[in-house]
Parts: sequence; C-alpha cells; structure tokens
Amino acid sequence: MTGLTVAEGKKSRGIKSHSLERAERRMGLLFAIPSFIGYSLFVALPMLFVFVLSVFKMDLMSNSISFEGLSYFHKLMNDDDFWKAFTNTFKYLIIYVPLTLLLGLVMALILNSRVYMRGMIRAFFIIPYITTYIATLVVWNVFLHPTEGPVNSLLTSWGLNPPHYMVDTKWALPILAIIGSWKDVGFHCLLFLAALQGVPKDLYEASSIDGANGWARFRHITLPLISPTSFFLLLITIIGGLQAFYQMALLTKGGPAFSTTTLTYHIYRTAFEYYDFSYASAVGVVLFFITLVFVLINWFGQKKWVFYQ
Amino acid sequence: MRVFLTIVYSLVGLVFVTPLIWMLSTSFKYENQVFEKPFVFVHWEDINFGNYMYLLTESPVVTWLSNSLIVVIVSVLFRLLFAAVTGYAFGYLKFKYSNTIFLIYLAALFIPYQLSLLPQFIAFRYIGFLDTLWALIVPNIVDILSIFLMRQFFLTFPRDFIHAAYMEGSGVVRSFFRIALPLAQAPMLTLGILSFFMIWDQYYQPLIFLKSPEMFTLPLGIHSFQTQFGHEYAKQMALACIAIIPVLVTFLILQKRFVESIFTTGIKG
Repeated sequence: MTGLTVAEGKKSRGIKSHSLERAERRMGLLFAIPSFIGYSLFVALPMLFVFVLSVFKMDLMSNSISFEGLSYFHKLMNDDDFWKAFTNTFKYLIIYVPLTLLLGLVMALILNSRVYMRGMIRAFFIIPYITTYIATLVVWNVFLHPTEGPVNSLLTSWGLNPPHYMVDTKWALPILAIIGSWKDVGFHCLLFLAALQGVPKDLYEASSIDGANGWARFRHITLPLISPTSFFLLLITIIGGLQAFYQMALLTKGGPAFSTTTLTYHIYRTAFEYYDFSYASAVGVVLFFITLVFVLINWFGQKKWVFYQ
Repeated sequence: MRVFLTIVYSLVGLVFVTPLIWMLSTSFKYENQVFEKPFVFVHWEDINFGNYMYLLTESPVVTWLSNSLIVVIVSVLFRLLFAAVTGYAFGYLKFKYSNTIFLIYLAALFIPYQLSLLPQFIAFRYIGFLDTLWALIVPNIVDILSIFLMRQFFLTFPRDFIHAAYMEGSGVVRSFFRIALPLAQAPMLTLGILSFFMIWDQYYQPLIFLKSPEMFTLPLGIHSFQTQFGHEYAKQMALACIAIIPVLVTFLILQKRFVESIFTTGIKG
C-alpha cells in the first residue's frame, strides 16, 4: 500500500512538471514567432530571391520579368571583368588573411608579456578597430597622398622613390588589404589575448622544468592550446575578407584600371550603377558558393590542426 | 629590459595610430598648412578652429550626426528586445526542433550580407522605404549574432528564479519581463555596446538606400563631403574627428567593459 502511494506521489509530481514543461514549450514557440518572421523576411527570402533573380531578367523601369535560365552565368563566365574581380578577391585574401592573423597574434603576445602600461598599449592597438571606418579611410586617403602626403614626403626626403599607392595598379590592392588589416586587427588581437590568458600557467612551468626553450614552448604548448581561437578567427577573417568593400568604395572606386574591383565591388557596380540586378545576383550566387567552399574546407580541415581540450 | 620593451611596444602602438594623430593635428590647421614642410604638430600661436566652426554651422553635419544617432539608438533598442525574446525562446523555454531551427539561423552568419541587400533594395523600392531611415533601421533589428549571444546567456539561466515567479502566479510572459529581462542586463549592455559600434560604422546600406543629403548618416555624409570638397583636406580631417570622437570617448570610458565583452563573445563564439 505504502509503495503505491509513494509511486503515485512521484507520478503526480511528474505530471505537474511535465505540464509545466509543455506550457513552456508552447510559450517557447510563441516567443520564437517574431524570429520566424524576421528570419524569413530578412535572411531566408532575400537569399532565395537572389537565386531566383539570377535566372530571371528583371527590368526595374518597366517592372517586367522574363525567364533567362543560366544565361547570366554563361555571360559571367565569358566576362573578363568578372574574372578580374574573381582574381582580385583572392589576391586580397592572400594578403589580408595571413597579415591580420599574424599581426593579431603578435600584438596579443605583446599584451600578454610582462610590460608596463599595458592598458595604454592595448588601447593603441584597438583604436583603429573601434573608430568609424569611413572616417579613417578619408584620413588614409590624404595620409598616403601620392605626391604630397606625409608618408611620401618623408620617404622622398630620405632620397627614396616611394610608390604612388592608390593610383598605382600594382600597389592599390595590397595597400587596401593592408588598410583592411590595420582596421580589423584589434579584434583579432583581443580574441588571441583571451585565448592566451586561458592557457594554464602550470603547463609552462612544467615544460621549463623539462628544459623547453621559449620557441619550443610556444610551438608545442601555446599554439595547440589556442588553436580553437585560431580556427574561429581564420574562418571569420576569410569571410570578412571576401566581403571587403569599404576601401574600394571610398578610396579607389574599383580602380585604377579595375585593379581593386573585387567581387563585392563588382556586385555593387552592376546592381547600383548599371541597375543590372540579375547579373549582380549571378555574381552574388558565385560569391555565396565561394564562401561555402571556404567554410567547408575549414570545417573539415580543422580536425588536422585544431586541438580541443 | 622590462622598461625597454615597454618603450618599444608603446612606440609600435603609437606608429599604429599615427594616421589618427595626424588627423587630429591637421584638423586644427589651415588648408595651406596641411602638407607644410617641415611638419609642425600644432601651431600654438594660431590654432585654427575654423574647420570645426564651418562644419557645425554651414554644413549639414549636425543633421548627419542626428540621423546617425537616431538610426543607432532605435536599431539597438529594437535589436536588444528582439534578441532577448528570441534568445529566451531558444535558450530557456525551448520547443520541438528548436535546436535544429537554431542551427539554420546560425548558418546565416556565413552568408555575405551584400547579397540580401539586392532584394532588400527592390522590396524597399516597392514599399517606399528608400531614402528614409527605416531602410536602415528595420533590417538591423534582426541580427543573428545578437540572438546567438542572448541564447547562450539564457541556456545557463537559473531555472529556480523563473519557477519561483511561477509559484507566485506569474505566467511565462510576465516572468520573462519581470525576472529574466532585468537579470539579462549585463549581456544586453555588452550587446548594446557592440551593436552601437557596428551600426555607427555602416556605410553600404546608406550608400544604396539614401539619396537626399538631409537623410544621410555620418559615414555617407563623410563620403559625399569628400567627393564635394576633394582638396579641402583640413576640413575633411575635422569631419573625420567629429565622426570618431563620439565612439572614441565611448570606447575609452567603457574600455574595460568593451574588452571583457569581446573576450566573452569570442570565447563563446
């Protein structure tokens, strides 16, 4: 008899918490409704629409629509401008990604070492990251003025023959990538710093007893232990690099001679200067798949070098 | 050694912000002094406040500033509320398939934001959002990263607090607003700071959505000013200072908090 009542008591408590859970689940769905609407309107539908737009011809003036199949992708494959933009995007990545990661790591190592005035040095490192991007680009524009800017007048006074940066087809894209790094590296520095501070001190102590020198310790303890952060940052940096746009829009307008037209700038120009939204969408679809490929490579490549504790 | 390294690193840091120091110095000069040789940091005997005076009284800078502030404040407030409600749904309440749906949400972080702007432009053209601040505010409300951060916070939210509210007769909605939301102040402040910096910086959206100068936000205003006054560099530098100073002051006041917020978001990300 007693056994039964205990069992019943348990059961009724079970029912009570179960019904509470059910009520919470029902309300959970209700709480999630705004996000369903928001996500559909601002993420899912636009994405879908970009794919649709890339196979239809849409005339914004007459509001007419006609099916074009893959003709925009054919056009794109035979378009020299597209291939230039494609190559430029990768050139940008090749400079921007390693530079930002390396610089961020070095800066984090500096902040993690035993120095005075760490707060001030840290502020110097992060200030470009938090300042208004367009404003700093206006500054760079004058700072790197090819003939009269402070950088080049200094270099010239030393008897050097400095490049003309943004108006030189060879230099423009690398300079934009370096400015992009300068702007973003503060974020990388902070994340690396957080990771470095998460490395247990006793591991270093143990290794110094074993006689490991500074480099060996960095190579075999620090690097593996911060690899999850490195992985995350690599992914973020590639995605960010693929989307670089501000420097081109403000400093070079994709020039000189197309040398800084990346895929994002190509999309902008075709859509908002030529109003060819379908062609721009086709380029956008390509950009989407490039991003996807990078994400997948990273995702499956991480097993080789990312070390989770 | 330690002192020596401190000096070296400080100099490295100083070199890093040289363009910004040069900006500040140039904003107080006359146009014919911008590229002067030899370089003078400040002409103490004749500091020129004229650039700032011109910008604040004879150009639309104040309008641009207030447009920027309106966009940032309204966007951030709605974004925070939206992220908190959604985060509570996916982190605390949960429902059937909520985790799967959330993964689909997260996948959006990998989509280049430029893509969704094409259809947004077409849609806004139809509903008449073009050339209004709504075109900037409304898309900013839905932010996947913010939702993610709020969900992470509510995942570990103590259930006892909410259950105590239930005992006192509060429903789910009431306990959310009375208990959960006030206790989420810390992550929401973090999110608010991050969003402030991000939205203040936005340039692509105003570039394509706005046409009339009186609707411009500050970044677009700076761009148009640069196009219009191509060779008046000292004024451009003063304008850059006006854009940077609000965020710089905010940053310096909240530096500790800001660094911590990047730490936590980064670690959780």
